[in-house]
Amino acid sequence: MVLSLSIGALLSLICGLDRVAILQVMISRPIVAAPLVAMFLGEPLVGLQIGVMVELLWLARLPVGAAVPPDDTQVAIASSVLAIIMGKALNASGPELLLLCLLVAIPLGKVGQYFDHYARQYNVRLIKKVDSALDRGSLLGAEFQHLRGLSSFSLAAIGTYAIVLFGGLLIVPFLWPLLQQPLSYSSAWIQLALPLVGIAVILGTINVSRALTLFCASFCMAFLLMWLV
Amino acid sequence: MTIPRKTRLYIWFRLLLLQASWNFERLQGIGFFYSLLPGLRKLYSGEKLLAVSRKYVGYFNTHVYLAPMVAGAVLKLEEDRAAGVVDQTLDADDFKEMVAAPYAAIGDALFWGGLRPLAAGIALFFAVKGILWAPLIFVLTYNILPTWFRTVFFVRGYRQGIKSVEFIQKHRLPDWAIHTKEAAVVVLGGLSAFMVFSQLNQLHLPSWLGLLTLIPMVMLVLVARKGFSTLLLVFITVGSMFLLGIFWADMVYLMASWGIK
Repeated sequence: MVLSLSIGALLSLICGLDRVAILQVMISRPIVAAPLVAMFLGEPLVGLQIGVMVELLWLARLPVGAAVPPDDTQVAIASSVLAIIMGKALNASGPELLLLCLLVAIPLGKVGQYFDHYARQYNVRLIKKVDSALDRGSLLGAEFQHLRGLSSFSLAAIGTYAIVLFGGLLIVPFLWPLLQQPLSYSSAWIQLALPLVGIAVILGTINVSRALTLFCASFCMAFLLMWLV
Repeated sequence: MTIPRKTRLYIWFRLLLLQASWNFERLQGIGFFYSLLPGLRKLYSGEKLLAVSRKYVGYFNTHVYLAPMVAGAVLKLEEDRAAGVVDQTLDADDFKEMVAAPYAAIGDALFWGGLRPLAAGIALFFAVKGILWAPLIFVLTYNILPTWFRTVFFVRGYRQGIKSVEFIQKHRLPDWAIHTKEAAVVVLGGLSAFMVFSQLNQLHLPSWLGLLTLIPMVMLVLVARKGFSTLLLVFITVGSMFLLGIFWADMVYLMASWGIK
């Protein structure tokens, strides 16, 4: 379990940094991050299923200007780790456990937004340090302060991961015996509903004229094609 | 004095760390200074270098994939100024401020608003089928355009300086953004149909039922347009499905006990 938690922490750090601080090659997207961590833990399909459900949820929340979108990276990573650990601990498998882990992780992931906000707030302190380094004539010092910003983003990523994961480890064992059976009646539909909600939010916010008409036309065309073929 | 190719390459790599110290006051300001510094070191020294550095450490914010173009053009302008070829109409610092916001708007619409949902939609087709290559498909599909922007636009920015703006105008990027968004909507429509169709097939339910999905979808879109939070929508939808699932299971049980199939 410690090894699983550590692998998850390492990947949450790398993917968390890709989110804002470095590269932005999108390994931080749930569809990549969740299967990646699950692959290292030996169950890539668990991550893929979680990635499908989380990917579109907050895709409409754009990181524009000073806006801080919810941390879907850590939600995806932590819920994958949680589902794999809980699957072994409770000797359970199937979509119900995945869903429970994810539904617990989603509200806990809201905390990530505050951590991310705090990291950016903390980085304001670096400005003074950069200015005073330049006043001293130390360009190297100013460069170093920029790289120090990485530590606050790293802490924010790890902090969110830890909150979601440990919160889940406390909550899921309590809820599992109560919700295992009731969830089995609707798990397949909930798995379908989560990406559809994400798509609806994207359509609601995307700045395209007649987005809804275009969507409905595409939906019907694709549906009829699949039906006929 | 020109900035050597090796230094420009170094600056390009540093631009990958542009947002390492992102903060609410100067946003990418420190990162922009950090990226340009190797180039500025080649052009200036001593007090002059410090004075120029102070200028670049201020507020700066643009789209992360278009920042290389701004950086390239600024380096060119600084290079000209260091050589004594001064454009009286526009300072490098003014240029940076002038283009940052429009480039940010173009980049946000094209990459975050269009390309990301498009690439996600394409990759999810594979992921829903359980194909483990789906994450790789997403990363490859998504990164072709940003990598092109980061490299080609940086080179263009450095070659053309202020005139690099014309390069952006010539490529009609705002139009690209609209077309990418439209493509994303079409792909997401196809993806929704595919997911619903697969689900109905798995549960051995009649396929035509899937067309009814459009009713809750339209309702959700209208609610989302009113500004409802995603979290709230998720929990309302999941809660309703959970309760309906229990209700349906009870109904099936009752009907079985009454001998109704």
